[in-house]
Amino acid sequence: MIRITGGKIYDPAQGIDGQVRDLCIDDTGKIVETVSGGRIIDATGMVIFPGGVDVHTHVAGGAINFARAMTPEDHRRTQAFIRTKTRRSGLGGMAPTTFATGYLYAGMGFTTVNEAAVPVLSARHTHEELADIPIIDKASLTLMANNEILLEQLEQGEYERAKQVLSWYLWAAKSYGVKAVNPGGVKAWKYGHDAKALDTPIDGYHRLTPGQIVTNLARICDDLGLPHPVHLHCNNLGAPGNITTTLDTLARLEGHRAHIAHSQYHAYGGDGWDTMCSETTVLAEYFNSHPNLTTDAGVVLFGDTVTITADGPWQHLLYKLTGRKWGNLDVENETGCGIVPYTYRPSNVVNAVQWAAGLELLLMIRDPWQVFLSTDHPNGGCFWRYPEIIQMLMSAEFRRECLKKLPDRVKSRIKLPELDREYTLLEIATAMSAGPARALGLTHKGHLGVGADADVVVYEEQVDIQQMFSHPRYVIKAGEVVLEDGDIREAPQGKEFLVRPAMDPATNDFIRPLFEDCYTMKFEHYPVELERIEHPDLRDCQPPATS
Amino acid sequence: MGGKVTCTLGEVKQRADFIIYWGGNPAECHPRHFTKYTIMQKSKFLPRGRKDRTMVLVDIRETKSAKAADIFLQVRPGKDFELITILRALIKDQPVRDEDIAETGLDRAAVEDLVRRMKGAKFGCMFFGMGLSMTRGKHMNSAALLTLAAEMNAFTKFVAMPMRGHGNVTGADVIMRWQTGYPFGISFNRGYPRYNPGEFSTVDVLVRGDCDAAFIIGADPGATMPQPAIDHLARIPTIVLDPHITHTSRLARVHITTAPQGISAPGTAYRMDELPMPLSPALKSPYPTDEEVVRRINEAIAKKPFWLPDGGPSPHQWTSQVNL
Amino acid sequence: MPVTLRLKRPPIVPLEAEFLSPDVLATLSHAEISAMIVHHGKRRLPLSEFFDVEGERSEDLVLHGELHKLRWVGRGMRRGSITVHGTIGMHLGAYMRGGRIDVHGNAGDWIGAEMKDGTIRIRGNAGGQIGAAYRGAMSGMRNGLIMIDGSAGLEVGMRMRRGTIVVGGPTRDFTGLQMKGGTILLRSGAEIRTGAWMQRGTIISLKPLQMMPTFTYSTTTTPGFLPLLSRHLAPHGITLPTGPYQLYRGDRAVPGKGEILVLA
Ligand SMILES: [Zn+2]
Repeated sequence: MIRITGGKIYDPAQGIDGQVRDLCIDDTGKIVETVSGGRIIDATGMVIFPGGVDVHTHVAGGAINFARAMTPEDHRRTQAFIRTKTRRSGLGGMAPTTFATGYLYAGMGFTTVNEAAVPVLSARHTHEELADIPIIDKASLTLMANNEILLEQLEQGEYERAKQVLSWYLWAAKSYGVKAVNPGGVKAWKYGHDAKALDTPIDGYHRLTPGQIVTNLARICDDLGLPHPVHLHCNNLGAPGNITTTLDTLARLEGHRAHIAHSQYHAYGGDGWDTMCSETTVLAEYFNSHPNLTTDAGVVLFGDTVTITADGPWQHLLYKLTGRKWGNLDVENETGCGIVPYTYRPSNVVNAVQWAAGLELLLMIRDPWQVFLSTDHPNGGCFWRYPEIIQMLMSAEFRRECLKKLPDRVKSRIKLPELDREYTLLEIATAMSAGPARALGLTHKGHLGVGADADVVVYEEQVDIQQMFSHPRYVIKAGEVVLEDGDIREAPQGKEFLVRPAMDPATNDFIRPLFEDCYTMKFEHYPVELERIEHPDLRDCQPPATS
Repeated sequence: MGGKVTCTLGEVKQRADFIIYWGGNPAECHPRHFTKYTIMQKSKFLPRGRKDRTMVLVDIRETKSAKAADIFLQVRPGKDFELITILRALIKDQPVRDEDIAETGLDRAAVEDLVRRMKGAKFGCMFFGMGLSMTRGKHMNSAALLTLAAEMNAFTKFVAMPMRGHGNVTGADVIMRWQTGYPFGISFNRGYPRYNPGEFSTVDVLVRGDCDAAFIIGADPGATMPQPAIDHLARIPTIVLDPHITHTSRLARVHITTAPQGISAPGTAYRMDELPMPLSPALKSPYPTDEEVVRRINEAIAKKPFWLPDGGPSPHQWTSQVNL
Repeated sequence: MPVTLRLKRPPIVPLEAEFLSPDVLATLSHAEISAMIVHHGKRRLPLSEFFDVEGERSEDLVLHGELHKLRWVGRGMRRGSITVHGTIGMHLGAYMRGGRIDVHGNAGDWIGAEMKDGTIRIRGNAGGQIGAAYRGAMSGMRNGLIMIDGSAGLEVGMRMRRGTIVVGGPTRDFTGLQMKGGTILLRSGAEIRTGAWMQRGTIISLKPLQMMPTFTYSTTTTPGFLPLLSRHLAPHGITLPTGPYQLYRGDRAVPGKGEILVLA
């Protein structure tokens, strides 16, 4: 039992904006009305947030593990975690090792993360890795937009069948939701092509277009009653002028809920690298008038990182642009991924536009319940650099200092210099915790109301915002003080969130022959057994009554 | 700088119309490779199966696999790296002299035909075996083929992957990567993972006599390593976990018999394309699993005084001052 | 008076002592030096367990003994000198930025790896990866001079960007692998695959070399920069024939603009 007294509470879900209140935590790790006895933490003068929730990150699975192997030079220069009695060893940096990932997230007050790209085929691997990430709770999304068995159903206009197939895959992967990456484009990449136009049939299909995949996946997620809507990585990532594709894609959602991943990478104007500019105004306006949508910014931070995405064509382009290392892994029937180490430089006009665009979206989308903190770790920057973003959001003056480092010719291509908005602490708490928790449908996360999971972070209020958010005073996870005075004290195992959508039992027999035709493993070996998930938190999904 | 461009075996099965085996003998070492994954399979994209695919074998001698190949290219021993480097030049239309090509044991017509076929493929795949990765040049031979595959993507789709040996080598590699960032050749003596093949790789540590104890799971170095390494294993306390009596267990101070993985012990094995496969035990074993033994050893060690000074309260003390 | 260390108890497993660098020892008293922690495998022990220590607060360090298990001496040093009488282990002078290291004996692998400046001389033989890039890194040594009087191992000067390596004896395979700049002088030639995948830089060999097939003979010449290199090496007693040399260019596989000069 813990009572935290005297702290200023920021709990956007309950509309608590810095009021001083006591916060009580019981022995089951929940927030309660009151406790008698137990530890008292004096948080006088301190700031209390619900634990951070990362709606879109890449921390486990084949792709990030590929990236780790490709970047030993980064491991040598990065933060090393030395083994102690309670902590295992590891390495931070661009692609942190599993144990270090848990310590780094918890170390800045984040207690729940969503691994945003899992092929079903390597889901077993991803879950084994997730089990090795201590402290934080985890969810994972399954890559569906290039799955050939599913696309075949959509090609034939078999919507119901497609829905069943998707449910089957989600349960096979022990997944939390649906991720769509570059619909149709990854599939085309398998023969070295891409899908750029939403209405052009995809390579190898007669009718099916990327636009139809978007519409159908959004509808299926809603019809299945998944807690998190379709998590969409639009076509044409990173390309100048892609704002047209992005707006076109959003129109295909036809009123369904959706979460748009790393929208910064999809908000560019111009018709080539020479003319590329930020088109965040129109995109922000679209979000402002469509409350059914959420997004994460996908902020780019200057410095070294490694880019990993299921967007193979984009990665080959990046490899050709940088001439550095390139990793690529195509996964049968399902998806693919590419890995390229990359350095974002303020002197590079394209990088400068990207940097500004991410911040612009966070500042121009008015409702912090709609736009969340992310770097699409590790693509735009590493997750442990979030406090830098918070500082930029909270201080227009600091942004102006940063802008001075950009070349003059960038200024006409970005909107950031005109933006004066400064986030309040309540808005920061919304964008880093309450908003993403709600978007993920995690009702017991992201707030400090009675019954919520006692994931709490206590910051020392400081003028140096980056310092304040980098080094919380206390981090409490499920009622346990895991970090105190800058040191990890306990490293308990977190939970994994899973959904079980309703499914026609005949689907298994329907998929079997299709599976055996294109896969190379035993059908029985394909689904991840529930027993293989350490600490599962399972939710059965039912279609909403009204649909 | 190249890199690694690869795919899962199902992609090969469905799409690869052009397959090169380099320095491997799948007909004898991976007998199901042809039928399950590569040349014999029919697919949506290659409906005629074998007829829709071209197979090239590159090796220093005509093995049984050559019978299955459409084209057999006999490279002179120790000239693989040179041949791959020539191919890297030729795909970019860089000139190479006839006599330099001839040094590799092939003639210009054969090499240019190979380049033409590679560029003409819709989906090319190169598998390489120990005949490439364990001969003179070692990791650079593998790097050469991986680089060639990466560079081929300027012309068409191309991937490459190693044909790993037996046992769950890939699994060890995958897990070490997620826990430490490195695949093998790792030292923990400073309390955090450090990597340097040649310095920390098992064979080098043993040959130089750099360790004073050895703990061996799922391997039989006594059968495969050079004599100085084996001599050192015999000199120091060596502990072996193995279901069988092996060369190594014979020279070890302690041999703990464990249940055979996959037969009596459950778990996950990683296939050569890094896909995880569940192992479901068919038989019961009277012996503990490797995992069980290691867990119990760990528990016993946990009761001993901790071997590293405990990290202090400041986050900076989580970190070492210098990573070596 | 220099700080002098004499080995009294040979290490059984590798001994790591990256603080054995003039920058560090210059400010330390005798007692402090003796108490510095070395890593003997996983064990942390004071330096005095292994060495008799003489002297204090000096920018000159002298080591005596068969120290082939002693690693990381002179790591990142910026000034002063290190003299070794005997053998020395891996990573000597790695990441070095200045100063001078002299070894009167043999040395291990990774000597002067990723060094930025300074001078290293090994009077005996050395291992592989001299002045090289560590695994995965884009660049090896960036400047400075490494002289090996005896032979050297694999991958000498791998990915080096600038600076000079001179090897008196023969080197093994992959000398100048993926070289990006700088100069390697091979006085007794090399085994195979010299200059493989070179982008830029110069390899000079006074003995015939087996050339990679992807290098092209260009011309026989007396390069203009050789007198400059000779002047650079003369203070170290290293002389260089003025030529003529056969000039090869490659590696065409990259395609690179490296040069290999072989004394005609
Ligand atoms: Zn992402």
